[in-house]
Amino acid sequence: MKCLSIEQIYLYIEKELTLSENKKIEAHLAICRKCKKALEERRPLLQASESLPLWQTPPNFTQQVMARIFPARVPLSAWLTAAYAGLGLTTLAIFTIFLVTGQNFSSLLTSLNHSLWNFIRNLSPVFVKFFKVATLFVRVLQQFFEYIIKAFASFTTIISPQVQIIIITIAIILIAFSIYGIKRKILIGEKA
Amino acid sequence: MDEDKELVARSIKGDKEAFEMIIQKYQQPLLNYIGRTVGERELALDFTQEVFIRTYSSLHSYKPQYKFSTWLFKIASNFIIDYWRKKKIDAFSLDHQERDNDLPPLQVPDKELPIVKKLEFSELKGRIEQALEKIPAPLREVFVWRHINEFSYEEMAEIKGLPVGTIKNRVFQARELIRKRLEKKA
Repeated sequence: MKCLSIEQIYLYIEKELTLSENKKIEAHLAICRKCKKALEERRPLLQASESLPLWQTPPNFTQQVMARIFPARVPLSAWLTAAYAGLGLTTLAIFTIFLVTGQNFSSLLTSLNHSLWNFIRNLSPVFVKFFKVATLFVRVLQQFFEYIIKAFASFTTIISPQVQIIIITIAIILIAFSIYGIKRKILIGEKA
Repeated sequence: MDEDKELVARSIKGDKEAFEMIIQKYQQPLLNYIGRTVGERELALDFTQEVFIRTYSSLHSYKPQYKFSTWLFKIASNFIIDYWRKKKIDAFSLDHQERDNDLPPLQVPDKELPIVKKLEFSELKGRIEQALEKIPAPLREVFVWRHINEFSYEEMAEIKGLPVGTIKNRVFQARELIRKRLEKKA
C-alpha cells in the first residue's frame, strides 16, 4: 500500500472511514514510520481544535433580541379605547350643557367662538384669520347637521314605526360588527 | 415533527415564547461561529442578533423538509458573506476554487518532536486560536463549523451548497494551514 494521504489520515482520526478502509490503514501504519508520525502529529491538533473554549453570550442576550424583534409600543387597542372614551365624554358634556343652559349646541358654540375670537384677535392677525375660517367651517358643519336632522325627520314621517325599528336595528348591528372588525384587525396587527 | 420544527410552526403562529426558545438554543453556537469568523466579540454579538432578526422575518420561507439548524446557519453564512463583501475581503477566490480538489502531499517535519507535541494542551489551544485568525475566511468558516459547531461534512455541504468532497478538502486545508503556522511559530 502507498503512503497515506492527508485526507485518509484525517478521516481515520475522525472515524469517518469504513471498517475495511480502517483495517487497511491500520495495517499500513504498523509498517510505515513516516505515516505513523504524521498521524501522531495531527491527532493532538484535532483534539485541541475540538476543545477550543466557547464564547458565552451575555445573560440578557435573548431579551435584547426579542426587544428588537418585538419593540415595546402602546397597544393600538388602548388608543382606540381612549378615542372611544374621549368621544363619549364630549357627547356627554354637550348634552349636559344643553340641559343646564337650555341653549342649543350651535348657539353655545357660536358664543364660545366669539369670546375666543375677542381674546385672540388682539394677539395676532394670523390667529384672527384662522378662527374666521374655523367659524365658517363650524357654521357649514352646523348647516350640514341641520340638513341631516331635517332629512331624518322627514324620513320618520314617511316610514312606518315598524320599518323604522327594523332599519335602526340593522344599523346598530352593522356598527357593532364594524367596531368588532376594526378591533380584531388591530389585534391581529399587534400579533404580527 | 422534531422540536425545532414545532418551535418554528408555533413562532409562525405568533407564539413569541417559541421563538425565544429558538434564540436560547442557538445563540451560543451562532455566536461561536460568527465570533470566530469576524474576530470581534461586540461585532459578533451584533451580527448574531441580526441573524436572529433575519431568521424571524424569513420563518415563512422555511421548508420543514430541511433541518432547521442547517437553514439557520445558511442565513448566518450569507450574512457573513455580505459582510466580507462590504469589507472587500475576498471570500470566494482566495486561490481556493482551483485548489478545492487538490490537497498538498503528506508532509512530516524532520524535527524529532513536532510542535503540537511539545506544547501544553491549553497553550496549543491558544496557538490554534491565533492561527485560525490568520487563515483565509472560507477555510476558517468550515474549520469552525467542523470543530466548534460539530457539524458533519454532509451538513456543511448542505449549508454551503457545495459537494461533500469540496467541503472535506477545505476542512483539511484549514487544518494543514493551521498546523504549518504552528510549526513556523515554533
